[in-house]
Amino acid sequence: MKIVVCIKQVAALGDEVEFSDDGLDVDPDYLELALNEWDGYATEEALRICEQAGGEGDEVVVVSAGGEEVDAALRRCLAMGADRGVRVELAGRADPFTVARALAPVVAREQPDLVFAGVQSSDAVQAATGIALAELLGLPGVAVVNKLDWDAAARRARVHRELEGGLVDVVDVETPALLTIQTGINEPRYATLRAIKQAEQKEIVVEAAAGDGEPAYRVRRMFVPPKGEGAEMLAGDPAQVAARIAELVKERLA
Amino acid sequence: MARDPKYDILFEPIQLGPKTMKNRFYQIPHCNGFGSEKPMNQAHFRAMKAEGGYGACCTEYCSISPESDDSHRVSARLWDDGDIKNLSVMCDMLHEYGALAAAELWYGGPHAPCMESRCTPKGPSQIPSDFEFLTYPIEMDKDDIRYVQKLYVDAAKRARIAGFDIVYVYGSHAYLPQQFLTPFYNHRTDEYGGSFENRARFWRETIEQVREAVGDDTAIAVRMSCDMFMGEAGTQLERDCLPFVELCDEIVDVWDINVSGISEWGEDATPSRFYAAGRMLPWQEAVKAISKKPVLGVGRFTNPDMMVDAINNKQLDIIATCRPSISDPFLPKKIEEGRFDDIRECIGCNVCISRWEIGGPPIICTQNATAGEEYRRGWHPEKYSKAENAENDVLIVGAGPAGMECAMVLGKRGMRRVHLVEAADDMGGCMTWIPQLPGLGEWARVVNYRKIQIDKLANVEFVPKTRLDAKGVAEYGAEIVIVATGAHWVTDGLSGATHDRIPGADAMEPHCLTPEQIMVEGKQVPGERVLVIDYDGYYMGVSLAEKLALEGKKVTLLTQLGTIAPYMHFTLEAPNMHRKLHKLGVEIVPYHVATAIEPGRVTSVHVYDTEGHASTWDVDGVVLVTQRRSDEALYRELKDSVGMDALRAEGVEALYRIGDCEAPRLTADCVFSGHRLAREIDSDNPAIPKPYIRERKVIERELASV
Repeated sequence: MKIVVCIKQVAALGDEVEFSDDGLDVDPDYLELALNEWDGYATEEALRICEQAGGEGDEVVVVSAGGEEVDAALRRCLAMGADRGVRVELAGRADPFTVARALAPVVAREQPDLVFAGVQSSDAVQAATGIALAELLGLPGVAVVNKLDWDAAARRARVHRELEGGLVDVVDVETPALLTIQTGINEPRYATLRAIKQAEQKEIVVEAAAGDGEPAYRVRRMFVPPKGEGAEMLAGDPAQVAARIAELVKERLA
Repeated sequence: MARDPKYDILFEPIQLGPKTMKNRFYQIPHCNGFGSEKPMNQAHFRAMKAEGGYGACCTEYCSISPESDDSHRVSARLWDDGDIKNLSVMCDMLHEYGALAAAELWYGGPHAPCMESRCTPKGPSQIPSDFEFLTYPIEMDKDDIRYVQKLYVDAAKRARIAGFDIVYVYGSHAYLPQQFLTPFYNHRTDEYGGSFENRARFWRETIEQVREAVGDDTAIAVRMSCDMFMGEAGTQLERDCLPFVELCDEIVDVWDINVSGISEWGEDATPSRFYAAGRMLPWQEAVKAISKKPVLGVGRFTNPDMMVDAINNKQLDIIATCRPSISDPFLPKKIEEGRFDDIRECIGCNVCISRWEIGGPPIICTQNATAGEEYRRGWHPEKYSKAENAENDVLIVGAGPAGMECAMVLGKRGMRRVHLVEAADDMGGCMTWIPQLPGLGEWARVVNYRKIQIDKLANVEFVPKTRLDAKGVAEYGAEIVIVATGAHWVTDGLSGATHDRIPGADAMEPHCLTPEQIMVEGKQVPGERVLVIDYDGYYMGVSLAEKLALEGKKVTLLTQLGTIAPYMHFTLEAPNMHRKLHKLGVEIVPYHVATAIEPGRVTSVHVYDTEGHASTWDVDGVVLVTQRRSDEALYRELKDSVGMDALRAEGVEALYRIGDCEAPRLTADCVFSGHRLAREIDSDNPAIPKPYIRERKVIERELASV
């Protein structure tokens, strides 16, 4: 059994933000890098399935696209228990299609039984890479999965998709398939220091990105929106403030 | 980050008579246990605040004569040339940072027991102190008045030589000038007593004389309490203080306004349990409205928006801070740099003050473990050296106050990786539930500050919901293991009161409860009638009594001590705690120990009853606040069962424990314990604190070799 988990190293803004000279991105010096939250859940789900199956040669392979700094996120997943890592060399922050095109040949070569990706990344919030990859791989794609029952032998899975308003969409899908995994599907494990150290010894294969293609979009400009009008501060005791809020709501709804 | 223009007003210079203060941040006089006799500790302690951006820093109350000797408590002193030399170090260091130095010239009258000097204090009337035991003053005649006024003048001249820019004629907290102003202390019938003009005469004359002596180049500050909360007898705003401001506004350069006397000065240095920040703004605003001079005052301000509002709303010109400056000497700089997340906010627990009240040990702070350690341990609250063994990974088990502090400091010292592993789902340990006791909400700042800091440290990872056993610790992969598993309240009534268990005490029974069972586990206190057995003497027993009374229970608090929660006398929480429990109808039973607990009944004896007559208390539930015990099982198993040899085989090179896990203690001491180990993690033997500089006179002698 082999599950490939596609992960992303995301950037979080620090207290201060400066843009790069070309105005197209945040200066990397002002970013803190971390494993995308959704991808921790996806990795955990893959690890649990393999652990429960308990088979010889079962494998969880984590793949990502980007520069050397992405290895830290891959090692995070390796410390959780993933077996191997593959990084496709890709410069800069790429759009979902470019990333999917970079990952597709690597994932296809692994011939996985399942492919996971996070629903979305916390920095770009496109929620597109996973589904684009499913299309490129020619696999069924199911998005926003928060429950998974997989019958490996029957090559069939029943998954719950989380919809708006608390609705659940129950879907049957043939596997191999690509599922984008929602937070809360499990509780990701923490890696011990020993596991982190051992992960430093695990192999990360670096591959060149194959082929080019048009990006899905180009960033024209990144900026902090100008401040709007100042807020109206309400004075008075809690009862007065509450009464004023109620008035305001009525006024604005009218 | 550049300063938000909203806060510009806090950084505008202001004129104090002949002196210019560079901004509006002023460290009010407060004690630290150093006085004039630990001058290097004193200087480095104050200078840290100047480095942190304060525009002016004061001494603590600074005695002008051996007649005003507050021993056993520690004041600064300006009695002679030696004191000038010693305090000049503080002035020089403050000046290096561009801050002004202020001396709070103090004559205590009957409140100064003169235990060291064996002088006799002088006062307006011969009434013994309401603060100190058995201290009677000499009732001053006119010669005495001239003599004491000259003491002020001579001390002001010494202050000027030492380098002070501001001298106080200090009255607040019911010291001599304010005693003259206040009918409670002043029963005189001569021209120094009776009418307002007469009661104000001593203070006014003294200010005039000090101004005449040093006022050309030294600012004159007056600190006045504007309400003593004792009705007609006490100082009153309208009757006494506003007229005094009008009378003396021309001869005063800056007014320092607060409230309270000395016997209940928790009305000034307000515990967060009873008062929010800015409690004294109404009095400060009243003085500001009629004075042409700058008005400053404290209010436990930690919130920059509140500071700006106080100035914009014409309540204050200068934001004075005492406890917030102890908790974070870099408060001004952090506001200037927009680093609000990094402000270590005072929690208003008043353990800093407890040390002064106890009589002179160095200051401590729950939030700032480096307070008082600037010189003797060389600790800087914002600077951390890279550890020499930083290539190691550290596992800390338990994310209570000690564990959080240790993780934060080790992170700042650049350890390769620090894992803070906690059984619960969030950080805080006991500080997740203690702030839920009535009135203690601000204590949660202990957790919040550290949580934010730890979150920012890339090399520190918090691992929740993970309970490690000894095997898990051994195999975790850390070179350094620190156990910080805390302590618990005992379930069997063991205590320091009797050094024994209470027969029948067993918190497994439904009628016996421990604090954690009530606060963490939600165990229901049965019935209507509850007896709280408090052998601890700090906040836990009374807080639970208050909580249960607020829930409608009929509560009795039984203690072996002569009064409830004596440590809360030191933190200034006691008077209002007494009022609160009295109002809630909590029955207080002092001097009693429980001899037996059974369902529905507790038996006790009076500790001084040699015949041992039993009293019985018919109650449905008993809360055992008797003593705590370290949660040391994990540490003992690692050290004794697994053993260091086996640990070394797993790569663990060192095993330590910190905080309550070693021995239960104040939260401030837990934080210190975690901080201390982290500061000294690369010393020869981190388990044992390194020696600190003891500032003392050492006799020159030949020593025999050991």
